[in-house]
Amino acid sequence: MLSRYAVKSPWLFRINTGSCNGCDVELATTALIPRYDVERLGCKYTGSPKHADIVLVTGPITARSESYLIRMLDEIPEPRVVVAIGICPISGGVYRDSYSIRGPLDKFVEVDVNVSGCPIRPQSILDGVAQAIGIWKEKIKIFHKA
Amino acid sequence: MAQFFTIALRNFLKGPTTDPYPFGETYTPENYRGIIAYSPELCIGCGTCEYVCPSGAIKLRHHESGMNFSYWLSTCCHCGNCGYYCPTDAVFNSNDFHTARAQSEKYDATINDDIASVQCSRCDAMIPRAVDALLARAYDEITDTVRHRASLCPDCRRLEQFERMYL
Repeated sequence: MLSRYAVKSPWLFRINTGSCNGCDVELATTALIPRYDVERLGCKYTGSPKHADIVLVTGPITARSESYLIRMLDEIPEPRVVVAIGICPISGGVYRDSYSIRGPLDKFVEVDVNVSGCPIRPQSILDGVAQAIGIWKEKIKIFHKA
Repeated sequence: MAQFFTIALRNFLKGPTTDPYPFGETYTPENYRGIIAYSPELCIGCGTCEYVCPSGAIKLRHHESGMNFSYWLSTCCHCGNCGYYCPTDAVFNSNDFHTARAQSEKYDATINDDIASVQCSRCDAMIPRAVDALLARAYDEITDTVRHRASLCPDCRRLEQFERMYL
């Protein structure tokens, strides 16, 4: 029965992997400012990886943050949807091929949605989260059948 | 204090300030730097955009019948350098912000267009064409002489110059 309600309110969890903070500011904007208000889509930010349904990853995965990212991703239960926020986790962006960059993100985890931009517009984040919710609904359906 | 109440009353009457975006239209500024727009008929294939692109999103490749312009959205940082330096305004930032893509579309080039070369009007060499926007930058007015010289390959232009001056 819980799964029926869980579908309607996925919880968001964000991981900063050495981002310049631009995308994190935009994520905070999307969540906190009533103008964009991601909670209209039924989403809520959570502080614990164990409660996460949709994972938003920012930053180009620096050498220092790599082990933390792997540990954090291990704690997030399946089914989950991973969204890469900004060009850094998608392809490395302007930091691509740098000596201290271990990215892109899809080396470590199966990414579902990419939202590119530098930084991204709050409206684009809403777009990406809406797509992620669609994927998450399908994933949870398959998960409960299995 | 009076000003505060004026604003509070105005906001109370104006209704919610939430942007209706995923369910409705949103406001995008005219000069918002979004996904790149490209017009192949204006492009001369000079490669300036590729040179100034800090994230390597633009690639120009040579092939038999001309050049190929490709743009990879997943690494574009929307800095606007390409549009700023483009001599003919063939590349510029549109205000399209719809950049959320599924993982399966990650490596798809958003723009992939061919820039056709033209034949020299005197020999059969293939040269990059000169568009009017470029000629307008170089000359005060575009006369038939200017157009004729622009249609020649460098070798033929040198020959013609020699014939005009010494023969």
